[in-house]
Amino acid sequence: MTDRSGAVYDLGYEPFEGERSGRKGARKAVYFDGIRRVLGLRRKARRKVMPWMLLFIAIVPSIVAVGVSFVIPADAADAIDLASQNADFFLLGGTMALLFTALASPELLIPDRKDGVLSMLASRPLTATDYLGTRFASLATVVISFMIIPQLVLFIGQAASDPEGLFQGFANAADTLPKIAAVAAAYTIAYIPLGFVIASLSNRKAIATASYLAVMIALTAFAEALVRESNITGGRWFVLLTPINTADAANVWIFGDSNPDSLYVAADIHPGAGILALVVIGAGLSLFALNRYRRLM
Amino acid sequence: MGGIALTTSGLGHAYGNIAALHSLDFEVPRGRTGLVGANGAGKSTLIKIMLGILTPTTGTATVLGLDTRRDTIDIRSIVGYMPEGPCLPLDQTAADFLVYAAGTAGLPKRAARQRASDVLTLVGLNEERFRYLGDFSTGMKQRAKLAQAVVHDPELVFLDEPTAGLDPSGREEMLDLIERLGGFGIDVIVSSHVLRDIERTCDWVVMLDNGTLLNAGPIGGHQTEGTVLLELIGDPQPVADALTSTGATVATRGRTLEVSLAHGDVYDVVRDAVTRTGASLRRLDGTGGSLEDMFLKHGETR
Repeated sequence: MTDRSGAVYDLGYEPFEGERSGRKGARKAVYFDGIRRVLGLRRKARRKVMPWMLLFIAIVPSIVAVGVSFVIPADAADAIDLASQNADFFLLGGTMALLFTALASPELLIPDRKDGVLSMLASRPLTATDYLGTRFASLATVVISFMIIPQLVLFIGQAASDPEGLFQGFANAADTLPKIAAVAAAYTIAYIPLGFVIASLSNRKAIATASYLAVMIALTAFAEALVRESNITGGRWFVLLTPINTADAANVWIFGDSNPDSLYVAADIHPGAGILALVVIGAGLSLFALNRYRRLM
Repeated sequence: MGGIALTTSGLGHAYGNIAALHSLDFEVPRGRTGLVGANGAGKSTLIKIMLGILTPTTGTATVLGLDTRRDTIDIRSIVGYMPEGPCLPLDQTAADFLVYAAGTAGLPKRAARQRASDVLTLVGLNEERFRYLGDFSTGMKQRAKLAQAVVHDPELVFLDEPTAGLDPSGREEMLDLIERLGGFGIDVIVSSHVLRDIERTCDWVVMLDNGTLLNAGPIGGHQTEGTVLLELIGDPQPVADALTSTGATVATRGRTLEVSLAHGDVYDVVRDAVTRTGASLRRLDGTGGSLEDMFLKHGETR
């Protein structure tokens, strides 16, 4: 006979007795939350549309280029030389990264302030520097992916089409890897700090996105006018304050290409000076955003 | 659970020229403590100092023996905080947010998932765990806020106005949950301007008024002293005589007796006198022993 008597178990409250990773674990949690947030992961479907569409636009042309390079013989007139495509694909990836930064910076910072999540985070083992630093790292990871993934597709395609074989092809193309890293870093420093400053000043995501793009475009337009149309003494140095032109000029310079239409060529300023300006301005903008958050956490 | 939860010494804070706290000196034992005062009394400022969000202008404060200026990160590793205002990301599900909240306290991922599930069950949101927080009612949001404050099993939790905006049944459920936290080994500091909430849930109270300390002490100890109003059916004199013979001071107004006792529990004395004389009670009211009376009394004598 089956024993039908039962028992109700009060599972009660189980205290957590494992190891806590403290500040390190807190930073890790905020970092991965940032990546999920900007890519719309574990959010409603409409939140995924823009980031994944931009990523698609950034990556697909490189896959197509590699595919075409295999179809068209290398000695044909319209053959694609993958080795010369890096700078061009950075220009496309950089544009997508700019649009993505415009959308993602407000998404990372504004809801945490507006919904009050920052007050929860302020009771965790985190400092304002930890919070902003990990948010920066989250966005930088995705922004760099926008640029690195197409470059890696080209790198693999280039190695695979090497007449000396795949592994020797990797070795032959390896010198482009540090250049890829340097250009991706230049775009990241050019785009993210300003995005964070604007997102730290606004409470509306749409306004922050529009303001960011407006400032970026206005800086370029103003520099164009100063360098090409005016005779103001020293006006050409304003080109150092244009993140878009500076990152593009750094890209072309690092890959050893030339772009006669570049504003840097017209201003007769070396792109290396632009990179230095990017670092200094990026640090200043980051400190400004950090100062605002130190009052909140 | 012995020991000291909070201490302050000459603690003061000012927002620019506006002083929010004036030289507070008190100690709070571990357990459940109420922080009471009107809006603007300095309760939230005090909690923010304890969490290291604000730096005191003068004096020092400790939380579980840790200095709020020097050991901010260590304090934040072992406390939880339910803010008065919103603290929930509206575009996340309750389960995802709690896993995140546990992760930000340094819990490993697997433990964070398990704790999130357990705590959602504890606060009665297990059925709603995959709903977006933006779709939650006010009562559910308050419970989710409490859940994030305890999901990492803190030693002490600060609850800032936890019953704000709740209807009567939601308020009762929240107070029940707060009472249960003590049984889980979590010390609780509850800030509220609703004295009955504090009376119901706490053993100790810190009273603030305009940033100054009115009183800090046990709640139960005060309730056994004071005055009781006793309204009787029939002749009150035998009860008055019985009370006087035990040393109580009795003032008679019609059928109502105002009974005071300098030492001991006035309620015990009244109970014994009524039983002995066989009198019938119409009404029994405590005066002078409730938290409200304490608050008024300390406010007047300041």
